[in-house]
Amino acid sequence: MIGRVLALARKELRQLFASPIAYVVGTAYVALTGIYFFQHLVSYNQLLFVYQSEGLGGGGFDQGTVPSHINVLNEVFVPAADDFGLFLLVVLPLVTMRVFAEERASGTDELLLTSGLRPFEVALAKHAVTYLFVVLLLAASAIYPAVVVSRAALGFEHLIALYVGQLCYGCAIASIGLACSSFTSSQIVAAVLGYSIPFVLLDFAWLSNAVSEPVARALGEIALLGHYGSFPRGVIELREVLYFASIAFLGWLASLTALELGRAR
Amino acid sequence: MSARIEARNVSKRFGGVVALDDLSLDVAPGEVFGLIGPNGAGKTTFIRILTGFWLASEGDVRLDGVSVTRDRFRVQARLGYACEQPKLYADHSVDAFLRFVGGLRGLHGAGLRGAIGRSIERMGLEPVRGRRIGVLSKGFRQRVALAQALLHDPPLLVVDEPTVGLDPAQQIELRRILSGLRGTHTVLLCTHQLHEAEAICDRVALLDRGRLAAIATAEEIRAGAGLEALFLARVGRSAQAEPAT
Repeated sequence: MIGRVLALARKELRQLFASPIAYVVGTAYVALTGIYFFQHLVSYNQLLFVYQSEGLGGGGFDQGTVPSHINVLNEVFVPAADDFGLFLLVVLPLVTMRVFAEERASGTDELLLTSGLRPFEVALAKHAVTYLFVVLLLAASAIYPAVVVSRAALGFEHLIALYVGQLCYGCAIASIGLACSSFTSSQIVAAVLGYSIPFVLLDFAWLSNAVSEPVARALGEIALLGHYGSFPRGVIELREVLYFASIAFLGWLASLTALELGRAR
Repeated sequence: MSARIEARNVSKRFGGVVALDDLSLDVAPGEVFGLIGPNGAGKTTFIRILTGFWLASEGDVRLDGVSVTRDRFRVQARLGYACEQPKLYADHSVDAFLRFVGGLRGLHGAGLRGAIGRSIERMGLEPVRGRRIGVLSKGFRQRVALAQALLHDPPLLVVDEPTVGLDPAQQIELRRILSGLRGTHTVLLCTHQLHEAEAICDRVALLDRGRLAAIATAEEIRAGAGLEALFLARVGRSAQAEPAT
């Protein structure tokens, strides 16, 4: 089983990096995260300058003149994490849309599914390679936050928590995109669904006035954003990790179901 | 090393459309068996059920006694499949593609290298083994499809329309390759080319509208008026009688 999954995973990696999409998506993500992170850093410095200016008469900038809530965590990491999450949501469906849909459209799914590969192995290899791409994407974007963490003596646990959160969130988004791709042979349909579903799942606050309170609370429990907030603050909660892992698992299960349903068509 | 196929009462429906209707047939080990019939006769449907790609609505196909419905992965391990219009990865080189398929088939290390070498030699792919599949001619792509199907040396080779779009020399070459497998492998050949089936098959089954219309040995075909006459007698008239759409 491992050999078959590795063979397919190698093929997926080769195809992913043979196309320009991985490089375009990677470059766009790293550029966007870099620009926005830098922007938050500039804003934070401007805030510090304002407080420093107000405190000039009292001896200039020191710990006493800057309120405790104005810190690099609250002013840089938390807003940057929100932006990073949004960028993941924008770029990942571009990668996931082709993964299953292209096989269906070109008929190569017939080659895969008649060569002894189990459908769960196909789903496993394709999901694993996409998660690996998310890891690479995050690793490439981690340079600026890592520099700030080391310069601000913030403690690397904050950086780790931020990126564990990103990874969980990214894998969940990717998994939804892959599930969408597995039910269609059209990459456009896969992309539209891959964008729509995570955007709907992102936050149900807009529905809160239209539904009863228990329903609104239940919707709040399943919204993606509600489970993402603790990570940028340096807290890794098991239940939040399990929440995102459940979404990733459900996405994998949906892909598996699509492959099995194709057989019974 | 060849395999026996037993199909029993196999039917396949897509909604209200019956693609295969109560088909039963046997293919003996080592036989080159042809499936012919007009478009929509159910040939590819039968092959997709045999290879485990589709599930039969009713009935079952067994390969050496192993049911494709119950254990399709054991059946798939014993067959190689080259489908119509080869479904290959255009961005892979021939070598990389065969390595990939070998990996799926559980081959690795020296065993995989040996299998690739044998397949490449058998199919005459040496001059193009480093080239991308996407730039190969149709004939070479067809050979790559056959090479991947034979990579793990399966007892059964299933080939769907292998000579479509090939020039005459390539057609002759492919027929020679398929004929060369007689006795050592069972070959199930699905084709529109009546002369091709007549030239290389030991027996031919004629499908029409999902049903088995006739089955004949090479001797019976040669003793009679040929496959074309058989086709016209069993299928041609009914096909002509179909209203134009």
